[in-house]
Parts: sequence; structure tokens; C-alpha cells
Amino acid sequence: MGEFIEELKLGVYQTFILDNNYQYFLEGIKVTLLVTVFALMLGLVLGVIVAIIRSAHDQQPEKKKGIVLRILNALCKLYLTVIRGTPMLVQLLIMWFVIWAGTRATDGNLIRCAVLAFGINSGAYVAEIIRSGIMSIDKGQMEAGRSLGLNYAATMRFVIIPQAFKNVLPALGNELITLLKETSVVTVIGLRDLTKGAMIIQSKTYQAFVPYIAIALIYLIMVIVLSWILGKLERRLRQSDLR
Amino acid sequence: MIYVKDLRKSFGDMEVISGIDMHISPGEKVVIVGPSGSGKSTFLRCLNLLEQPTGGSIVFDGQEITAPGVDVNLVRRRMGMVFQHFNLFANLTVKKNIMLAPVQLKLKTKEEAEAEAMRLLKLVNLEDKADSYPSQLSGGQKQRIAIVRSLAMNPEVMLFDEPTSALDPEMVGEVLELMKRLADDGMTMVVVTHEMGFAREVGTRVVFMDEGVVREENSPKEFFDNPKDPRLQDFLSKVL
Repeated sequence: MGEFIEELKLGVYQTFILDNNYQYFLEGIKVTLLVTVFALMLGLVLGVIVAIIRSAHDQQPEKKKGIVLRILNALCKLYLTVIRGTPMLVQLLIMWFVIWAGTRATDGNLIRCAVLAFGINSGAYVAEIIRSGIMSIDKGQMEAGRSLGLNYAATMRFVIIPQAFKNVLPALGNELITLLKETSVVTVIGLRDLTKGAMIIQSKTYQAFVPYIAIALIYLIMVIVLSWILGKLERRLRQSDLR
Repeated sequence: MIYVKDLRKSFGDMEVISGIDMHISPGEKVVIVGPSGSGKSTFLRCLNLLEQPTGGSIVFDGQEITAPGVDVNLVRRRMGMVFQHFNLFANLTVKKNIMLAPVQLKLKTKEEAEAEAMRLLKLVNLEDKADSYPSQLSGGQKQRIAIVRSLAMNPEVMLFDEPTSALDPEMVGEVLELMKRLADDGMTMVVVTHEMGFAREVGTRVVFMDEGVVREENSPKEFFDNPKDPRLQDFLSKVL
């Protein structure tokens, strides 16, 4: 037992204090959060656009669908199929080593590439989540908006989307948590996120236990904080359900 | 004001409206009754193009609104519609429900729309509910607010699609009372309803629809006291 504690002490020392190694964690958290937040924003924008195109297409009577809407819908379907049908890791590798081939591997470029890859990936899932939310809204809400002379887009924006968003918030929160954890695969393109930080420390110190348990805890704490924020937001949006 | 000519509507192979002609003059209160599935709601929804007719034409105030290229949104601004299930915007407070369309369509400034909303709410004695959400209201309150939400657009015609059918019996009265007041103020109204008392008392004309056609239309007195169509006689014997 005493031996284990001695080793743990050494592990903690080498992991955090030696050579200011704790910096790897701090920098890693920063990169992980940066990628997550910007990928989330990109994913939300993409997701909402795709969801609106898909549901506009599905809600329009067959005869009134314009050619533009048909083409956009086909593109959206292709996007969903490809992104959801291939592994995230593979998408990231293609983004960096194929599409961005020859780009200098600066931190900035790596982060931008990761944001793009994760944002595009997340957008596909967010799109289906939001679409399910739009479909869940009683069609009387759209009819009421239209009967007042509001057009489709305005009714969507002021009536349908806010309600849909509220309904799917738990599912979106789930997606956000998945996204945060999944960013750990950016290590494969050499971006120094939280996971990469732990790997570097392992290669420097031959310590595995402390660095990996440490990042597991850090991910866990980030997710707990995130869930708490989402819970607050959800309660706030539930205001209109008060009786 | 509204001329309907040989209106037809099919859903797939099912024809629900099989050629209806009707003329509605300003100030008229046309009440449409009939058994369920007779196409009366569909007919009403065709009037403001919530359902796209598959044949015939509708002319509203000199403009053929069924013609291609007509801006339906501009037409709908001038026709209020009240639904069976109220359809208040669940994410907005009562006041914002009323203000949304006038403000977004830039017909009123926010301040004007708010003042108008409060005036309308006072009219129906619900000004204390201005900041409540629809889920906090009773059915009767919701429907009265849905009516004033339409009124905020200053429509020339009001369409009512079974406005009291989803209400608890004790709340029907308050909604009918508001509709009567509207009628007395000279509003042109087309009402689909099962409230025969309302049809008799408020209607200037009562229309009986069955299987997608108008089978009889007459003044309320003639309609109820001296029905000619055998199906109408049968219908009235069941509902009165």
C-alpha cells in the first residue's frame, strides 16, 4: 500500500509539476473547449438550415414544390447520408490530410480544420434533431400564423422554431455532450487538445495512470457543468408551460 | 364581397367539395351547418386558401384570389380566421400573440400594436391576462383571445371554423356572446358551427351543406321553420 502511494506521489509530481507539465492540461482544455464551442455554433447554423429546408420540402404540397426546393432537399439528404454514414475519425482525416493537404500545421490551422470537420458532422445530427422538433409542433400553429398573413419564413422564425427548439433542447444537450467528448479524436491530426496533452506527458514521463485518470476527471467535470447550464436553460425556456 | 363559383376540392381521389356557388355581401353573417364530413370546414378553409381549391374560382373584393400569382399573404391579412382549437402561439404571451402579425408585417409600430392589443383585451375583459401564456388560460379565454388576435389585423371578413366545438359547455356562452357583439358591429362573418341557436339568432343566412354541395340556403326563419330538403329535415330533426 505504501509503495502504491509513493508511486502515486511520483506520478502526480511528474504529471503536473515537472517541467510545468500542468500547462499541457490548461492549453488542452482551452483547445478542447474552443473546438467544441465553434463546432457547436457551426453545427447549429447548418442544422437549422438543413432542418428548415427538409421540413419545408416535406410540408409543401406535391404540386407547389419549386425546382430549387427539390434540389436543395436532395443536397441536404446527400449531406445527411454521407456524414451520418461515415465515421467521424475518417471525416477528420479526410478534412486534414486530403482537403486541407499541404496546409501548414500551425495550431490555428489545425483548430480551424477541426472546427470545420466537427461542425459539419454535428450539423447532420442537429438537423435531424431540429427537424423532429419542427414536426412535433401542431400544424395549427403554422395555420394560425399563415391565416394572419405572415409568410412561411416569418411563422417558422417567430412561432415554430422557438417551440421546436424548446422541445428538442434535451436532445441537443445530448448532442453537445457527445461533441465535447468526441473532440478527443483530434489527436490524430496532431492538435494538442486535452487528450493529446495527456499522451505527450505519458511519452515524456512514462506515467499513464495519473495523466489519463486526470483527463477523464476533467472531461467529466466539463460535462457536469455543461449539463447544469443546459438544465438551467431548459427551465427558463419552460416558462411558457407554467400553469 | 366574396363570389365563389363552382368551387371544387379533392384530396387524392376523394372529392370533398363538389361545386359550390355562393355570394357573400358585406355585413352578412352566413352560418354554415351540416353533418360532419360534409365539407363545410374545407369550404371555409378554401376561402382564405389554407386549402388550395382544385377547381372553380373565388373572387374577393374584385380580385380573383384563386388565380395564379396572387399574393395569398396579402389576401389573408384582410380575412380573419378563428379555429376550432384556438391555435394561439404557445411560445408567446397573450399580448405578443396579438401584436405579432401587425408588428412583423409593419402595419403598426410596436407601441401602436401594444396599445391596440390592450384596447382589444379590455374589450373582452381579459386585460389582466396580457402577460399570461396560452397554457395558463381556459378554453373560452383562449378562443376570445384568438378572436381579438384576428381583429388586430382589422379584417374585412371573419371566418369561424367551429369556434365553440372544442369548448367545455359552460364556456360556449362567452365566446358566442363576443361573436354576437362582432356581428352587431357590422362585421362580415362566415361561421361553420353546430350551434343552431346562434345560427337562428345571429345569422342573416343559413346554409346547409351535405356531401360537398349546398343543399339548401335560406333566411334563418325559413331554414328552421320550413326546411324543404329532405336531408335537411332529417338533419334538423336530429340536432334540434
